[in-house]
Amino acid sequence: MKRNRRPDPTPPDESFEPYEEPRTIPIPVLSIAVALALWGGLTLYQNGQAVGVGQQERADDLAAQPALGTDSGAVLFEARCATCHQPNGVGVRNAVPPLMGSEFVAAAPQVMTQILLHGIDGPISVAGRQFNGHMPSFSSVLPDQEIAAIVNYARNRFGAPHSSQLAIDSDFVAEQRSKYPNRGSWFGGEEIAAVLDTTLPSQPPARSGSIESANPAVLKLINDGRGPAWACSSCHGSEGQGGETVPRLAGLPSGYIAKQLKDYVAGDRHNETMTLVASTLTEDEMTGLGNYYSRLRSPSNAAPSLGGDLERGEQLALEGDWSLDVPGCFSCHGPSGFGVAPGFPSLAAQHPAYTAAQLAAWAGGQRDNAPVALMNHIAIALDDDDRRAVADYLATLPPVPATGGPAGDDEDE
Amino acid sequence: MNRLLPLSIVALGILAFATLMLVVVPGMQIRSQSPSPGLLPYTQAELRGREQYVSLGCLYCHSQQPRASDQAPDDQRGWGRASVASDYVYDQPHQLGTMRTGPDLLNVGARLPSQAWHLTHLLQPRAIFDWSIMPAYPFLFEQKPAAEPGDVVVALPPGYAAQNGVFVASQQALDLVTYLQGLDRTYPALPDAVRDDGYAEPDDEGRKP
Amino acid sequence: MNDMDQERREVEGHEGRDRPRSGRRALRWIFAVGGGLGLFAAGLLVFDFDLIRSWGEPADAPETATAMFEPPSEADIPDGPAGDAIRLGMEIFKNTGTNASDHVGNSLSCANCHLDGGRRADSAPMWAAWVTYPLFRSKNNSMNTMEDRIKGCFTYSMNAQDSISGGPPPAGDDIYRNLQTYMHWLATGAATNVKPAGAGYPALELPEQGYDPARGEDVFQANCAACHGADGQGQQDANGRYTFPPLWGPQSYNWGAGMARVNTAAGFIKANMPLGQPGRLTDQQAWDVAAYLNSHERPKDPRQTGTVEEAAAKDHAGEETYYGKILNGVLLGTGTPRPSAPIGGTPAPAPVQ
Repeated sequence: MKRNRRPDPTPPDESFEPYEEPRTIPIPVLSIAVALALWGGLTLYQNGQAVGVGQQERADDLAAQPALGTDSGAVLFEARCATCHQPNGVGVRNAVPPLMGSEFVAAAPQVMTQILLHGIDGPISVAGRQFNGHMPSFSSVLPDQEIAAIVNYARNRFGAPHSSQLAIDSDFVAEQRSKYPNRGSWFGGEEIAAVLDTTLPSQPPARSGSIESANPAVLKLINDGRGPAWACSSCHGSEGQGGETVPRLAGLPSGYIAKQLKDYVAGDRHNETMTLVASTLTEDEMTGLGNYYSRLRSPSNAAPSLGGDLERGEQLALEGDWSLDVPGCFSCHGPSGFGVAPGFPSLAAQHPAYTAAQLAAWAGGQRDNAPVALMNHIAIALDDDDRRAVADYLATLPPVPATGGPAGDDEDE
Repeated sequence: MNRLLPLSIVALGILAFATLMLVVVPGMQIRSQSPSPGLLPYTQAELRGREQYVSLGCLYCHSQQPRASDQAPDDQRGWGRASVASDYVYDQPHQLGTMRTGPDLLNVGARLPSQAWHLTHLLQPRAIFDWSIMPAYPFLFEQKPAAEPGDVVVALPPGYAAQNGVFVASQQALDLVTYLQGLDRTYPALPDAVRDDGYAEPDDEGRKP
Repeated sequence: MNDMDQERREVEGHEGRDRPRSGRRALRWIFAVGGGLGLFAAGLLVFDFDLIRSWGEPADAPETATAMFEPPSEADIPDGPAGDAIRLGMEIFKNTGTNASDHVGNSLSCANCHLDGGRRADSAPMWAAWVTYPLFRSKNNSMNTMEDRIKGCFTYSMNAQDSISGGPPPAGDDIYRNLQTYMHWLATGAATNVKPAGAGYPALELPEQGYDPARGEDVFQANCAACHGADGQGQQDANGRYTFPPLWGPQSYNWGAGMARVNTAAGFIKANMPLGQPGRLTDQQAWDVAAYLNSHERPKDPRQTGTVEEAAAKDHAGEETYYGKILNGVLLGTGTPRPSAPIGGTPAPAPVQ
């Protein structure tokens, strides 16, 4: 083989192996190679950038987790209290008690702390006027530090003249939290005055009559299921709290729940699992389930998880974005997203994955059962970032306050 | 053939380089990953269920790797955030899957937490989704004239229910469902977690690196 | 071909005959790199910068030509006394029943009809009102300052006659001061004494069929009742706060309000209702539904001292209104029964600066 490496001057012999001298590469081929190399370089560069973006996204997601109590009292007040009690603390006439001039704010700090931790469900007299108090519990959405910051800020601004000397810290809140671990809301001003501070002015009597216990047949549906219908609680949780794409049911208006169940059967709302379950229910059972869940109160187990921009979400929820013809969520779903029975469901403490998925479904036309197509237009106007932002924001809100009305009374929800 | 030696050296060199870049370096990168905070090791029952998952070949239709929103709308489907390497620390071998014939299952436990639902669905997917193309797994269930104490009876709509008697879940079915219920990576990923971020693009507004 | 021949000759000739070999090689590389750069650039332009619009995404929608005035945003409120007054004015505007409690005799707020806190064009935005006053108004046949105008709002739209004080805020009240400071700030940068685009509610031409409350009822039940209630009395949340304002009845605006005119309400409805879906209703539907809600009884016109017929001739001549008209055998304009106690109860505490 070796001797054939160079052309032989002698006539070709039979072991001759044809060969070719290297030819230069044509310019177009070289050009393409150069272009590909540049492209490769660019891609590598962009990839390096993209890793940064991905890390930033994950950092945002982490940052969107429940706040760690770094916000000041003023910021927390604006975000947590002002939607109902108003930025200047005057409340809303005949609906939301004022903080300005409130005896409860001026009282010893454990009064406000306990109200924030457990919420109120019952009549209350503030600054000489009576209110039908329904305030949410913040214990599942605010850490001790933030509750302390809010109490100190509000007392300083609206309440006790010497409250700065009586400022409380997170240890105080932790101690207060452990005092009544299993109680629900305070049953109005009377109970607060009796238990927490006897110097408060006289209060209207708490609403009489206990909450009707739920229908045992409905409870059986919820806990055990029936026939082909799985137990409600097997997905929605024993307290109706849901998770991820399974919605929170606790605190939704009774009429809304019943309507959704009917819509599943009628094919106006699509989810095979729910259609199957709903089709086994009678109309009475749907109403019964609605009543049960509308009355059920459970702590929030939702947290921002989609990496949405919470400030943008807050803006969309409170003010909307009129440049997109999007009104604020709260302008229909009630202040702080507590819902307006029977048509407008509560949004507070709903799971971001569920909220965002529903908005995507409205926008994509897979869900179309809103009155006057209200949600369709809004969901279409919002882009993906906006949907994640607003879904994440709503998950930071405290769950719907308790409203211990008689069973089946929708208007009282 | 001429120049056999240099040819072999170059070929082996390319192979070695490729092995280094595609196998050794990523291997080292992955091996250095600790479990995501929030990720728990599988329980015994989950591990038994995982064996069922492997042996039944769920992998051939179900992935366990949700993509980033820049790649696919997996988050809007409710499949969860894009997974990272640390999410798979306890998976030996991993069940990432490449075929997405069915939905991604990495967060199915968070999405569908009901044991009863999963049992119905395994016994007969079409009992729930009339369009489903998933095979049924009747051999994981036993038809009995009546349920005995301790038996888990499968809820079935009319038309799918047993003519006489009931369907009872076997231990394998229960284990598999336990594994599925445990598939939940909804905790947030750490910023420095490893994944292919090649698709992440800075938006016009916000989310810039 | 020529190239190839040359190359072959070069190879065969062992050494370059025509030119130095290194020069030719450099030239080849220059051509190659140049061509590569060109290709790369072309590819980049097409794929990365979307120069060819028709590829991938559709071309952008044409920019809207009308340049609408943009009021400043809440984040731009200055600090100091001016900012405090602006904030107070904004609070009064959005939560009128509480912050101007003594003078509000129904359940409405300014922001119920002036959407987005008086920012939204075509819902009588405050930045447009500010730059058009003082103005002669035929309603009271005199020159009106902005304070006069706001006084009118309290008298009619806020039904001050049923409030604690029984009337609008007295001249020079802080309520006027704060509201005007807010409006003045909203109009930052707007041209004065020019009616800007988006001012007031759009004027709708009366359709051929006129307007008819009976047709309007169908429109109402299909498009409005979900929020305002089948009885038009709005909806309250658990605490009794109005989420959706009442459209007629004792808690709504009285017969003297601009919104009680069918044409005004039709313009508002067409441009703003249902919330988030401007233009959903046809002109005909907007007129009909406006007629429907304005043909219900509401608090009496405070200008009426004698009979409804007299007031109709004096104050409502030439208006598109049901005031003083007889519908289904009932005279409209007599007013809902006066509340037994002033609306609002005991006075609210003074707002905090």
